[in-house]
Amino acid sequence: MSSGRLHSPALIAVSLLVPLALVALTMAVGANGTPALQGTVTTILCNLIIVLGLQVFIGNSGVYSFGQLGFASAGAYVAALLTLPATFAALQTPALPHLVASAQLGPLLSTLIAAAACGVLAAVVGLPLMRTSTLAIPISTFAFLIVIYNVLANWDRISGGSSGLVSIPRTTGIASAGLWAGAAVVAALAFKWSARGYRLQATREDEVAARSLGIGVTRERLIAFALSGVLCGIGGALAAHQSGVLIPTTFYFGATVTTVTMLVVGGARSVFGAVLGTITVSTVNEVLRNVEGGAHLLGVVSVGRTPGLAAIGVGLILLATMIAMPDGLTGGREAGGLSRGPRLRAMRPILGSTTNGAVEPARAEPAGGSALCAEGVSVAFGGLRVLRGVDLTLRRGEALGLIGPNGAGKTTLVNVLSGFLTPDTGAVSLDGVDVGGRSPARLARAGLTRTFQAALPFPHLSVLESVAVGAMGVGVGRRQAVAVATGVLDRLGMREQAASRAGSLPPASQRLLGVARALATGPRYLLLDEPAAGLSEIEGEELVAILRGVLEDFGCGVLLIEHEMSVVMSLCPQVQVIDDGVTLRVGSPAEVQADPAVVEAYLGSSYLAAASA
Amino acid sequence: MTELVQNLIDAVALGSLYALIALGVTVIYTVMGMMNFAHGEFIMLSAYALYVLAGLPFAVAVGGALVTGVLIAIAAERVAFRPVRKADLSAQLVTSLAVATILQNIVMGAVDARPKSVATPGFISESTQLGGVSVPNLEFLTLGLTAVVLACLGWLLYRTRAGLAMRAAAENFEMARLLGVQADRVIALSFAVSGALAAAVGVLLVMQTGQVSPTMGLTPVLVGFVAVTIGGFGRMFGAVLGGLLLGVIASLLGAYLPESLLPFRDAFVFSLPVAILIVRPHGLLGAATGEARV
Repeated sequence: MSSGRLHSPALIAVSLLVPLALVALTMAVGANGTPALQGTVTTILCNLIIVLGLQVFIGNSGVYSFGQLGFASAGAYVAALLTLPATFAALQTPALPHLVASAQLGPLLSTLIAAAACGVLAAVVGLPLMRTSTLAIPISTFAFLIVIYNVLANWDRISGGSSGLVSIPRTTGIASAGLWAGAAVVAALAFKWSARGYRLQATREDEVAARSLGIGVTRERLIAFALSGVLCGIGGALAAHQSGVLIPTTFYFGATVTTVTMLVVGGARSVFGAVLGTITVSTVNEVLRNVEGGAHLLGVVSVGRTPGLAAIGVGLILLATMIAMPDGLTGGREAGGLSRGPRLRAMRPILGSTTNGAVEPARAEPAGGSALCAEGVSVAFGGLRVLRGVDLTLRRGEALGLIGPNGAGKTTLVNVLSGFLTPDTGAVSLDGVDVGGRSPARLARAGLTRTFQAALPFPHLSVLESVAVGAMGVGVGRRQAVAVATGVLDRLGMREQAASRAGSLPPASQRLLGVARALATGPRYLLLDEPAAGLSEIEGEELVAILRGVLEDFGCGVLLIEHEMSVVMSLCPQVQVIDDGVTLRVGSPAEVQADPAVVEAYLGSSYLAAASA
Repeated sequence: MTELVQNLIDAVALGSLYALIALGVTVIYTVMGMMNFAHGEFIMLSAYALYVLAGLPFAVAVGGALVTGVLIAIAAERVAFRPVRKADLSAQLVTSLAVATILQNIVMGAVDARPKSVATPGFISESTQLGGVSVPNLEFLTLGLTAVVLACLGWLLYRTRAGLAMRAAAENFEMARLLGVQADRVIALSFAVSGALAAAVGVLLVMQTGQVSPTMGLTPVLVGFVAVTIGGFGRMFGAVLGGLLLGVIASLLGAYLPESLLPFRDAFVFSLPVAILIVRPHGLLGAATGEARV
């Protein structure tokens, strides 16, 4: 049975082995080289671990942090202080606690302690920072980098101050750096393909949609930030033990630009990209560095001393990449996905037999009443009163249509029900429990999910991944999530498209995908905000036909928002009409159509004319 | 009492300098949604104009710095930022980081990595006695220049057609374009304004320290970023407020921190945004509804 997999074994194998082979190749180049080349290669491998650390956070979250080199710096100092010979320690860091100064640990133990320390530091620093916005994170993490630098440069009696530390045991060689780098590749891929990794990638692809699926953005970012801190700490620790000297500027502004360039050049979204980018940029950097000191190119052209050349080169590479190739050399794909193009048709076998029953909501029936209720909900934007005391009751297993002309307040009501908007007055309860003020993510985990008027796809994830993220978002494990997603896709007739990138689907399929994603959360209540909006009439009718078949199976309460009267009438036994922020009528489609107030306010004379024709 | 007044004047002077930096950053952000790392290099290059034009009368050199700041900013926009105008803010930020690295290292290679001293007019290093308080003339100059710049910016934004176009673009760029505002021209103008602000800061920094160095822009640009973050993105007034606040706090920390903690002043200053963002995740004046609209 092949279900339970998001990727074919071949893709996994290639995606793992190609970057590992690149690491091995790099090691081999160094192992047979001069001592200088060996040192260079070891440094590249240490940088690779740091860049993989950047990939874990930046690549999966899509949010730039410029503070990760601060963790490399911290890791380097921790590891150095733990291993410094006692005589040198007494000289360079007189105030160091005796326990640390006399520790003189081995390379492995000191690296592990540095990794743990950086993980804790990143978690503590990230706790406030990850709460802020996508734009504030790069800036506040940069501020963190300065804080770390400032402390290290001035805490003379512990860190050795601006002159730094010397005589650190040089225990990192090609072999140890390469092994750690290989482990980092595996760790970064394992994280990317874990349920956590997918939840984080979903926030990168579309933050709002991710929240609607139960994903807590702050929490997922924080976990990756801490893991990234661990990897950066390891890279820093190994680098300190490679060079034997350490100053506060070793991992500062310049190193930040260089490592970010490495990540971006390869393609930040992919681990393969991190490896490829590190090797490419390091090579260019190394060549330019040799020229910088004055060199003969090809034995003919003589170049004088040109300080700053390597850094200018790195800057130009970064600039050219951002302008001409923002997805990097790999286009953000893993090695296993490169040759197949965006549609990945050859991967189809991942979908095995239908997993019957997997799509049913896993939750037990709650004890309280089983309905989603809104009472007296009012919302005003400035002076504009969009909702004025609206009540709504959606019972489990019932389909309720919500109709009204444009601007009636339908979407605002859905935003209130799904937790995206806090009403000025009024209460919302879920199965008898007051859920006012709960976040969309918490509501999704409690069984209330919504879709949006726009499809909001996760463009870089496959269809199967997109739907599986829905289940992962509410806490379903990775394997089970894939089974759920497979079942949902089968039921919606999207099995053929499972391996396509979500961003490559036609609009109608993206719309259906949004519904599939929401269904995968196993909702007890599902709010569909104009699922047919923007589709052609035929596409809309097809969508409605699919929905009609599906909604009964899933047994959830469905609130269908539409301004196309016919869609609602054909799907919903019960209809609520709102206009100008108040409820006009609740009743069967026939009753609603017969109500003169509804006809006047919403349907208009043209509808009457059409109906009687 | 005298000491307190003295310290407060110092604090406000530093705060105005920081406000000028923050304004330069925020002008670009409001119009094209980009946080520009290279703003520090605009400052640095303007300062180097003073170094290069050292033999000329100081006023001429200052004019040269102003022209340099404006031209560099416009050139950077044309070459590097226009191609990524439609990219997301992370991509734009990284692009500006690349531009900053390139400019900084060109100066490092072309001039020198080490700081160079620049002679400034004598009266700048003198002080004026005001009722027992001795105020350095440079602080008068900083306060006066900030007031003039704010007045000019206010005039430009609220009294001219170009300013109206800039404000419209800041509100809703696409809509402004549809209504006939020429995107290229508005953005170029914003960069020119930003470059002029950078030049003012560069000149003040040279007067303060008497030297230039290739990395002199790094701390100012981060000060500007942090100030904008504190104040709330995309708000001119927020930027001024954030800059003032940051400068006042930095200055007072310098005056009142115990001797043993003084070297860590920057650590305290740059931890400030974290402290503020814990309480207000979208800055002091940032909209509470800063979350993505549904």
